[in-house]
Amino acid sequence: MELLPQATIDGLLIGGIYITIAIGFSLAYGVMHIIDFAVGEWIMLGAFLGYYLNLWTVLDPFILLPAIFLVFSLIGYLVQPLVYRVISGKKGNPVLMGLVFTFGLALMFRGMALTGFGFYSHSIPSAISQDSFFLEMGSVFITVPYVRLAGLLYALAITLVLHFVLKKTDFGRAVRALSQHREASGLMGINAKRISSYVYGIYVGLSAMTGVIIGSIFTINAQMGGEYTILAFFIVVLAGMGYLAGVPWAAFLLGLVQSFFLIFLNPSYTLMAVFGILFTILLISPKGLFGRGV
Amino acid sequence: MSRKYLLLILAFGILLSVPSVIHDTFFLRIITEAILWIGLAISWDVLAGYTGYLNFGHGAFFGVGAYTTALLMKLCGWSFFFALPVAGVAAGIVALIAGIPTLRLKGAYFAIATWALSRAIQQVALVMDITGGPDGMRLPTFLHPEFFYYLMLAVVGGIFALYWFLLEKAPFGLKVKAIREDDQSAMSLGLNPTWIKLQAFILSAVPTGILGAIYAYWITYIDPASVLGDLVTDQAVVMAVFGGLGTLIGPAIGAIIIFLFKTYFWAYLSDYQVLYLIILGGVIASSVVFLPNGLWGTISGYLQTRKSSKQEPVSQGNSDKGAHHV
Repeated sequence: MELLPQATIDGLLIGGIYITIAIGFSLAYGVMHIIDFAVGEWIMLGAFLGYYLNLWTVLDPFILLPAIFLVFSLIGYLVQPLVYRVISGKKGNPVLMGLVFTFGLALMFRGMALTGFGFYSHSIPSAISQDSFFLEMGSVFITVPYVRLAGLLYALAITLVLHFVLKKTDFGRAVRALSQHREASGLMGINAKRISSYVYGIYVGLSAMTGVIIGSIFTINAQMGGEYTILAFFIVVLAGMGYLAGVPWAAFLLGLVQSFFLIFLNPSYTLMAVFGILFTILLISPKGLFGRGV
Repeated sequence: MSRKYLLLILAFGILLSVPSVIHDTFFLRIITEAILWIGLAISWDVLAGYTGYLNFGHGAFFGVGAYTTALLMKLCGWSFFFALPVAGVAAGIVALIAGIPTLRLKGAYFAIATWALSRAIQQVALVMDITGGPDGMRLPTFLHPEFFYYLMLAVVGGIFALYWFLLEKAPFGLKVKAIREDDQSAMSLGLNPTWIKLQAFILSAVPTGILGAIYAYWITYIDPASVLGDLVTDQAVVMAVFGGLGTLIGPAIGAIIIFLFKTYFWAYLSDYQVLYLIILGGVIASSVVFLPNGLWGTISGYLQTRKSSKQEPVSQGNSDKGAHHV
């Protein structure tokens, strides 16, 4: 049991990274009511841009983050009208078509990445990747790698900035109004199309940035997308679809599940456990742990 | 109407005589596999097109059927014909368990849950000893291409006929379509949406499991990548969406086109196999944008409007009968 504090710290550090993935995802769902099956693929593409930029400029991945965010939020901003066209179609079942469309996008991105980047795993080394600091309390000894701590701080900073933007700015008010009632917010003069584009851009940018952080902590490869898509789904369903305040708790819980399986149980069964929890939540409280989802 | 049935009988006759005309096992194998994919595409469409729920874990049911057969034949020494129905039942049970919590909810939850389910089952097959892990399983060999051709034809023909009867002729089809269009109104008419959706899910999963069982015995070697991998789901989705959701003929046409393309592509351009994923994804995404009714929906819609504009004021009910595809 002397590993218990270490497992807890590890879980919280990993969980922090997931917050940023799930917040963007939850935001996009709240505004556009779309489940993006390509979320893991955005993470993967961001990670690879980070990897190549790092090779080319030899800058630290943490310094590259703003550039990655800019590039990918622009891409998201440009892709969004296509998604919007699909989900606001008059014929058939637009929600269904939106799901199929992003599923197709995800496949396409994965194929492109496998073609362009190959099957090998890479990592994005940061200057602080090698070092860690140690906490010693009596018999308990905890290792905290700097890079994981930096990842957590990054996630918390992003969360605070987003919280501020959503609560205090006009743009944030527009986003919240849009996710509450589409028609009414249109009557108040909110341009749903433009706000949705911005939100989708922010979401894609955040996912891509997180990909770089993941690359500096773990490894990246062209097939990593699917795994992170499941993790993002897990957090968003646990938090309650579209309920932002639940995201951090669900993300930390996921981190703890992962680290406990890694240290105390068999890590090969993590995905099974993740599915089991997801399934139980859907059975008992489909609106998430807090019952506040849509 | 009679012309339609005549065409159907003619097509079936041609398919029955294929093995006596074509003696090349390679071509026979391609045709057998094309028939398999028709079965997979229409069984996916039962839930997606008719009921409005996207199952992104279709491959899981195929794999469950394949692994059930392999385990029963290898460990218990069962004969294939006893293992076949059990494989279907196993897939049905998985669908029942996965469907009960998720089919009460909106389609997005169901899509997520089935996708996660397929990943979880993949991982279980990879780590368990009894399934051989990543090395997969080898089944008793039975090399008889004609047998598998006729078996596949009979099973897929049976599935097609069953779906045709249930979805196009029987009240069940109207029930699932009512739920697809608006499940609140369907409920107010006294239908139980969750129960009907669950029936549709099982109707989609059981044949998929049976097809998995035949595939396993036919190919004699299965591993998590081939029967549980994402490619099974991906291809079924492409075929159904490209062919036309909410019909039986659409996905069948889609299956033939995509499968022939895949065979050609892998035979002649095998250096670029990963490009295949890009093409699949591109076909899905662009079908959604440019052909929302799919190939068959677009063609039949076009024929309908031409027919109704020619013979002016025909009965109204007839003209919008076929035009209402998702």
